Amino acid sequence: MKPILLQGHERSITQIKYNREGDLLFSVAKDPVRDTKNVLTGSADNSCRLWDCQTGKQLALLNTSSAVRTCGFDFSGNIIMFSTDKQMGYQCFLNFFDLRDPQQIDDNQPYLTIPCSEHKITSAVWGPLGEFVIAGHENGEINQFSAKSGEVLKKVKEHSRQINDIQTSVDLTMFITASKDNSAKLFDSASLDHIKTFKTERPVNSAAISPIMDHVVMGGGQEAMEVTTTSTRIGKFEARFFHAAYEEEFGRVKGHFGPINCVAFHPDGKSYSSGGEDGYTRIHYFDPQYFDFELEA
Amino acid sequence: MQDTVDIMDDAEYEEEEPSFSDPEDFEDDIEDEEFLDDILREKPLEADGIDSVVVVDNVPQVGPERLEKLKNVIHKIFSKFGKITTEFYPDADGLTKGYIFLEYAAPTQALEAVKNADGYKLDKQHTFRVNLFTDFDKYMNISDEWETPEKQPFKDFGNMRHWIEDPDCRDQYSVIYEAGERTAIFSNDAKEPITAEERARWTETYVRWSPKGTYLATFHQRGIALWGGEKFKQIQRFSHQGVSLIDFSPCERYVVTFSPLMDTKEDPQAIIIWDILTGQKKRGFHCESSAHWPIFKWSHDGKFFARMTIDTLSIYETPSMGLLDKKSLKINGIKDFSWSPGDNIIAFWVPEDKDIPARVTLMQLPSRQEIRVRNLFNVVDCKLHWQRNGDYLCVKVDRTPKGTQGVVTNFEIFRMREKQVPVDVVEMKESIIAFAWEPNGSKFAVLHGETPRISVSFYHVKNNGKIDLQKMFDKQQANSIFWSPQGQFLVLAGLRSMNGALAFVDTSDCTMMNIAEHYMASDVEWDPTGRYVVTSVSWWSHKVDNAYWLWTFQGRLLQKNNKDRFCQLLWRPRPPTLLSVDQIKLIKKDLKKYSKIFEQKDRLSQSKASKELVDKRRAMMEEYRSYREKAQQTYQEQKSLRLELRGGVDTDELDSNVDDWEEETIEFFINEEIIPLGDL
Repeated sequence: MKPILLQGHERSITQIKYNREGDLLFSVAKDPVRDTKNVLTGSADNSCRLWDCQTGKQLALLNTSSAVRTCGFDFSGNIIMFSTDKQMGYQCFLNFFDLRDPQQIDDNQPYLTIPCSEHKITSAVWGPLGEFVIAGHENGEINQFSAKSGEVLKKVKEHSRQINDIQTSVDLTMFITASKDNSAKLFDSASLDHIKTFKTERPVNSAAISPIMDHVVMGGGQEAMEVTTTSTRIGKFEARFFHAAYEEEFGRVKGHFGPINCVAFHPDGKSYSSGGEDGYTRIHYFDPQYFDFELEA
Repeated sequence: MQDTVDIMDDAEYEEEEPSFSDPEDFEDDIEDEEFLDDILREKPLEADGIDSVVVVDNVPQVGPERLEKLKNVIHKIFSKFGKITTEFYPDADGLTKGYIFLEYAAPTQALEAVKNADGYKLDKQHTFRVNLFTDFDKYMNISDEWETPEKQPFKDFGNMRHWIEDPDCRDQYSVIYEAGERTAIFSNDAKEPITAEERARWTETYVRWSPKGTYLATFHQRGIALWGGEKFKQIQRFSHQGVSLIDFSPCERYVVTFSPLMDTKEDPQAIIIWDILTGQKKRGFHCESSAHWPIFKWSHDGKFFARMTIDTLSIYETPSMGLLDKKSLKINGIKDFSWSPGDNIIAFWVPEDKDIPARVTLMQLPSRQEIRVRNLFNVVDCKLHWQRNGDYLCVKVDRTPKGTQGVVTNFEIFRMREKQVPVDVVEMKESIIAFAWEPNGSKFAVLHGETPRISVSFYHVKNNGKIDLQKMFDKQQANSIFWSPQGQFLVLAGLRSMNGALAFVDTSDCTMMNIAEHYMASDVEWDPTGRYVVTSVSWWSHKVDNAYWLWTFQGRLLQKNNKDRFCQLLWRPRPPTLLSVDQIKLIKKDLKKYSKIFEQKDRLSQSKASKELVDKRRAMMEEYRSYREKAQQTYQEQKSLRLELRGGVDTDELDSNVDDWEEETIEFFINEEIIPLGDL
């Protein structure tokens, strides 16, 4: 595959997301969302902002007391959630705003705030019907927080180290977690049952589930600080493809000069993108052989 | 003032004075101890002070006129060891009996006296024998009854050579990983390693195999343990606090342990030699520094072991553990020595001394006959390299020729199997990086030059007295040479700083079979049969990508085994073959017959493996599919909820909402066809 290279950022890409139709690719600090009308971004500048997709105009600004680590729209598109970091004396909080009530936005008053005293939330996604948020923590724990009451509905600890990224399948029934413990795991969204594990030798920064094939893609590498100890050969940082049922790796795509921070499949499953520490976003369209490829079984 | 009045006279005191005497028949029934306990406690016992008494025999028998003189002499000699508090010179018939008793202030002083004065020659007829008084007691009190020592139950460790009997001839290797937390033993199979044993915290630092592969030694704070047999049971344990290094005798009869901690002047404990079968401590030695371990070098048959100290070569024999001929060899300036791996011959070298040139000497043991001496001039340094069978000795000599500044290297090749041990010289123009003999042949490989221009040269020591340069390859990325234990093949590796470049060479015609790389490889280990090579990245030298890779001897990569914080892999050595040379010749002749059978076996196991894999995958897919079906079902059931959330707009599929669609008609050119309509 010959990739398309995009360089629009000067610094590292931390997240890339496709919109639902697949004609837009957002590469940014945080999480835009399936609703193509608006984009929600959260940043280390202690704010969460809502933008109009078409005009690029900022629609709303929510100031926070510490950096915003993750954010997202629920399935209906009416409720937003974001988590703030444990910083400068402030705890980690998971905040919920209802966009249908403009008062909440104006007053910067979430209708629900869940404090997270022990291990901060490092990544979070909404459940399939917006009743709960699935959050991954610094210590590898995964919790289901109710979006109505704020209580913990379910929790599991399958990872031994920080969860760097959580992404859902296209139908939201399952999600994949990417962890610093060198593995990615597949879970059922409703029951939090651990279904599959994909092992590597490097920390996994991001993972995504293909919308059309039984494949997952994972990107990672190392801590930015340790990069000089790996091979200095060009483009050694790879995106790795695993078969979702067999847990076996079947392919790698080289090209990045630094650790890969984020991967995402196009909604039609015919291409994927990866963003890295080197400041590049690479879009890859799969060759026909990719779709025909089968592991012997 | 009133005068005192005698009370007795006072009429008022008419009562009888109470009597304080005991009644007439009163028997005292209180023991002495109760009254005088504290004083009685200090009553000297007969046994007190016995530990500080020595008995000196063979003392001259003198009359009273010479007694004073005798006492002075004794005093002079024996007060060196401590303060003499009492002396007793028993006599009979006017002469001293010939033995005396001396008491010291402390038992340690008595011990010193025994140690140092026993055997002291006073004069021709009188050699003192000094013993502790308590020793006499001990020996006199040996019971007259003979008690048969209790029979120790036989500890059956099973078949100690069990791993050799593997029907598929798989070799074993030990792997330490998880930064030392786990140690595992695997059987090597080309497809994937088969676990034989795996234990947590089996060793605290690292492991070592014995030279014939019988034992696995593990290290612990309190000493080492040896494990073996089919189940790796603990065979023996040796207590040596803080042990850090060990070495086995080639015959596996003895093990030498070193600890930097325990050493006292009286009781040398830095190096201890143990008998493996009985578990006994045979002898202890002092050791100043462990810089060049092993300090004791063993002869190939385990009959002798030797060590070098300043100007001295000490050779000991087994099993007595005493110095050969009861004395060390004085060799002024001795710099280095080593045993021939094939015979009881020691090679050592001495640097220049004023106008005596430097020398390499070959000495036969136990006769100590010098069978060859070679003078060398302007020597800076020498290194001894024996070929594994002892057929050749290579002395790498660095010299500064007269009148020049630079250092030049020669290889002095000693042909051990020829009469008079002739020596041939190979001159090298560049500095040497590595040198290695073919283990059971007559070739050697040399890496020379300086980064980045490093070359490898292959030499053949011929029978006709010549040493041929067979081939030279330049522009090599290598700093180490690893020959196959069976000879002919070798691996050139650029370890650590050279990033793991590998070259597989067949020296029969000096061809490069394969060039490959294992990035950041820190070690290369051949299996004992010479079929496989393992390259590995140890966590001890590089903190990521810790793994060991398995290659064939031709350089074909078979496996990549990642292990969390992998540290060390060691192949289990094989005992020497029991086959005679003729038997081996016979097998080689019939090799075609055997290889047919082996190939068939391989094909069977291959297909079995793929079948297993295919079955496994099928099962996983089944499981996954059924999970997905259930999830899909739930998804469908929730469709109405989703419609509700998105205000009645169906977004399940990209094309499910017709309103989103824009229809556009595009025309584009496909084909042009010209049809002649005939002439009009």
